[in-house]
Amino acid sequence: MALVFGWPMLRYSWLSMHASSVLTGLEPVSNQGANWIRLLEDARFWQDAVQTLRFAALSVGLEIVLALAMALLLDQRWRGRGVVRALSLLPWALPTTMMALGWRWIFNTPYGPLEQMAQSAGLSPLNLLSNPDWTWLATVMADVWKTTPFITLLLLAGLQTIPDDLYSAFRLEGGKTRQALTAITLPLLTPYILIGILFRTAQAAGVFDLIQVLTGGGPAGSTESIAQYAYLNAMRFLDFGYSATVMLAGFVLLSLVIFTAAVLLQISGLLRPLKS
Amino acid sequence: MLKLNTLGKRYGSRWILRYLNLEVLTGECVALLGPSGCGKSTALRLIAGLEHPDEGGIELEGRSLDGIPAEGRRIGMVFQSYALFPHLSVRDNLDLGLKIRGMAPAKRREQIDAVLSTVQLVNEADRRPEQLSGGQRQRVALGRALLRNPSVYLLDEPMSNLDAQLRDELRPQLRRLILQGPQPVLYVTHDQQEAMALADRIAVLRNGRIEQIGTPQELYLKPATRFIAGFIGRPQINWLNKTNGACIGIRPEHLRPDENGDRCRLIGREWLGANQLLLLEGAAGQLQMLCSADFQPGEHLGVSWSPQDEHHFDPISEQRLSRS
Repeated sequence: MALVFGWPMLRYSWLSMHASSVLTGLEPVSNQGANWIRLLEDARFWQDAVQTLRFAALSVGLEIVLALAMALLLDQRWRGRGVVRALSLLPWALPTTMMALGWRWIFNTPYGPLEQMAQSAGLSPLNLLSNPDWTWLATVMADVWKTTPFITLLLLAGLQTIPDDLYSAFRLEGGKTRQALTAITLPLLTPYILIGILFRTAQAAGVFDLIQVLTGGGPAGSTESIAQYAYLNAMRFLDFGYSATVMLAGFVLLSLVIFTAAVLLQISGLLRPLKS
Repeated sequence: MLKLNTLGKRYGSRWILRYLNLEVLTGECVALLGPSGCGKSTALRLIAGLEHPDEGGIELEGRSLDGIPAEGRRIGMVFQSYALFPHLSVRDNLDLGLKIRGMAPAKRREQIDAVLSTVQLVNEADRRPEQLSGGQRQRVALGRALLRNPSVYLLDEPMSNLDAQLRDELRPQLRRLILQGPQPVLYVTHDQQEAMALADRIAVLRNGRIEQIGTPQELYLKPATRFIAGFIGRPQINWLNKTNGACIGIRPEHLRPDENGDRCRLIGREWLGANQLLLLEGAAGQLQMLCSADFQPGEHLGVSWSPQDEHHFDPISEQRLSRS
């Protein structure tokens, strides 16, 4: 941990207090926190921060709802369930860059299937990857497609910890099957849902590869994430000092959110599965 | 009265329960006794409406239960796992059903308080199941069944998760709360001693069929098959080695030391307190004998029994042979 996490963090912190760009011949020169002052005034960073959180919030929200529905379905006994269970994991098993390329074709204007469908329905072109107001929804869609199986798996595992006897007892008490969802399933699944949210929020807030391949951050920077902005600063602008500052700021913002949430949930006991 | 008419259930082509005919009278407790996998829990689930029979039907108080879903039957069931809702306090566990069934809050409170004191859990009302001992959880499950105000009680191995001492403590409670009430009680267990101690009649199930129904005394004194003779009674019945292939059993308590009896060697003994269980080897094979006299291992002694205590079975059909 010290080697792969502690050392890079220290190195980032140190680098964020230095100018290290083409102007300094890529040699780190101390600049007394100028990077951090620049960050506070950098509208692009704050826009990216909002976009990243917006992306994470909607993705994770949709994933949880969809995954819950899928897990409930896959928990029932029906013919062919085993095959569907295996198939449903496929999106998650695909490398992100590959699946992002696939989605780029699906969203393509004018040749992608979505545009073709819109066309035959008589709609005007959707321009899914070139509309600054809507393209971020396309990135959400691709992310939801890819990571819903992961949460499904987590929730399915959670569902299987609930003994069947509880549902039997509930029915004998006069409860209808659909009432059992709110009376038993959701309360007992809460720890798993919360862990899914925490885990996926942390992951989605660091999104890079999906957006890089699908939109490259565009159009007009409307899908750019913090991780991409840090990458741009380092790799395109060769400004390593500021890139480290952006990365570190993103990390601090995210860990504040996740850490506070995790501590509060831990104290409330909501993360602990209950035994019957 | 609960009546099962040629009840049958199969999974795929395999019948796990078939030709189950049984009446449980008002105020009666019948134990469904059998080894695990004999279909006894399935019978309970069919009566509760949690599963549907493939054959036959169920009547409760003269009315058929066909087509009445589980939530519409008035069943007081105690599960082996207790099936308490882990996210709810004891009080809320008891309240859940009353609330679903639309009882007014004041009345609910009153009924729950009454049941809490009946099962002696007044001080545990606000605890969650995981904060309770096994015996306390069992009492919550009993309390919930009581609150259902059921027309029949179904108890599925209600004590098998408790240690022996707790079981002894709970038996009188179970009698007082449930068995002495007017409702018919069907009690599933694999423990023949529990069945003998609590039930008015016992139905022994084997491979999905009833092998014998009778009072504990009848099962013990006149086992209908070789299987029942071996299943009922501890220590187990002795099977005598006979050269003619006859199948004859004699219970350990019916053997006695006798100078003129069969010569046997004592190869082991278990001290039971009031008496001891001697393991003997002789011409009739290995025999277990209950006996209060003191013998030393390795000693030779004579053993005899009276022929009227023998149980004879047909070696092929394994049915009891009546001897007048």
